[in-house]
Amino acid sequence: MTLEHLPSAAPSLARLIQELNKLPGIGPKSAQRLAYFIIRLPDDEAAALAAAIHAVKQITFCRECQNLTDASPCSLCANPQRNREQICVVEDPLDVLALERTHCYRGLYHVLHGVLSPMHGVGPDELKLRELYPRLRDGGVQEVIIATNPTAEGEATAMYLSRQLADSAVKVTHLARGLPMGGSLEYSDEVTLSRAFQGRQAV
Amino acid sequence: MAPPRTYRAEALTLKSAPLGEADLLVTLFSKEAGKLRATAKGARKSTSKLVGHLEPLTLTRISLNRGRQLDVITQAQTLTAFAPVKSGLAALAKGMYIAELVDAFAAEASPNEPLLQLALETLTAIGAAPDDDLPLLHFQLHLLAVSGLLPELHNCVECRCAIEPDRHRYSAAGGGVFCRDCAPVEGGLRPLSLRALKVLRLLARCRQSQLPPLTLDEPLHLELKSLLTGTVQYWLDQEIRSRAFLDHLSRQTRR
Repeated sequence: MTLEHLPSAAPSLARLIQELNKLPGIGPKSAQRLAYFIIRLPDDEAAALAAAIHAVKQITFCRECQNLTDASPCSLCANPQRNREQICVVEDPLDVLALERTHCYRGLYHVLHGVLSPMHGVGPDELKLRELYPRLRDGGVQEVIIATNPTAEGEATAMYLSRQLADSAVKVTHLARGLPMGGSLEYSDEVTLSRAFQGRQAV
Repeated sequence: MAPPRTYRAEALTLKSAPLGEADLLVTLFSKEAGKLRATAKGARKSTSKLVGHLEPLTLTRISLNRGRQLDVITQAQTLTAFAPVKSGLAALAKGMYIAELVDAFAAEASPNEPLLQLALETLTAIGAAPDDDLPLLHFQLHLLAVSGLLPELHNCVECRCAIEPDRHRYSAAGGGVFCRDCAPVEGGLRPLSLRALKVLRLLARCRQSQLPPLTLDEPLHLELKSLLTGTVQYWLDQEIRSRAFLDHLSRQTRR
């Protein structure tokens, strides 16, 4: 949508609609609705939204864990309370948030920003894998916990990483795979069930 | 009469991609309807009953509702999970290569049961012998065969004379082997060793399960791989993206 398509709107409003229309999943009508919602917002809330958009563009990669951060190193890497002997490797920044919500992991992270996806042309060089190896060289890290998703591509990434680290002294582990809470044996596929059997524990 | 609102299919899952908040867009190759793309609602939620049955490289029986643009998968039941293919990196990379090629060669709403059978037999063979390169070479040659593109391996494409030992060349664009006296109008002629020609003829007449135990030395394997990948790529007219990862893994293994 261009400004010429919105002749009756005020130029500043037309510009806002045009910019909102560039967002994924936002069509012309949704862009107009959002723009009129923003017009009706109190000044301080509109300013907070603008400031948040401006601030988020200052985000950079943490030089340690490659997570998105305002300052490098990020708050997790800079926190002396975190266990520096463990690094949990995840696919993307949202996975860090999900794992942090569990409150049961106190180590550090490494964000790959994707998974190996040969069919889509994503190979090892397209991931933040190369940045992981120097973190393991100084001897402080004892365990790398691979927490990629249990999908074909996540598994390929996990297997590739464990192969790359096979010769290092670091212990490589993988998050348990099997039945989800609230799931059902009856509807589970055979790979999930066999993984659940392999990972069974004494109660 | 309008087609029924619901239907069933037996299909190999080729790939899936996130769609919306928690759905998956799944590409399948079915016995009944050829390649089809369908949505699996809520499949990305951890308690989804569908997602495990729709993992790539799984043969699954599915029920679908016809939608306006995309059909919706309502039920899925794994028939063969090809677990051995998914439990090793080399086999999984080969499986992804197969999925990409089937996706590229298959057409929507155009059943091709021989291609499905070929893919399933190859996945079984790869699961049984992940480090054996022969199943993938066989797959590529028979992929061309079931697509009507099998290169001529016995007679000169131009003059139809029988090929004599060590007096032949090969051209993917020309459609197979040429005798010394003939040259295709298009370029792209390449040498083809007698050993490689014999292996190609053997591969062409065997099913995957009938392949004899054959050990290919490195130069012969590289020649066959280059020739078959080149021919597949010529007909496909696009890059086979998962080939790069396969080559990356084999370089690492050789080191």
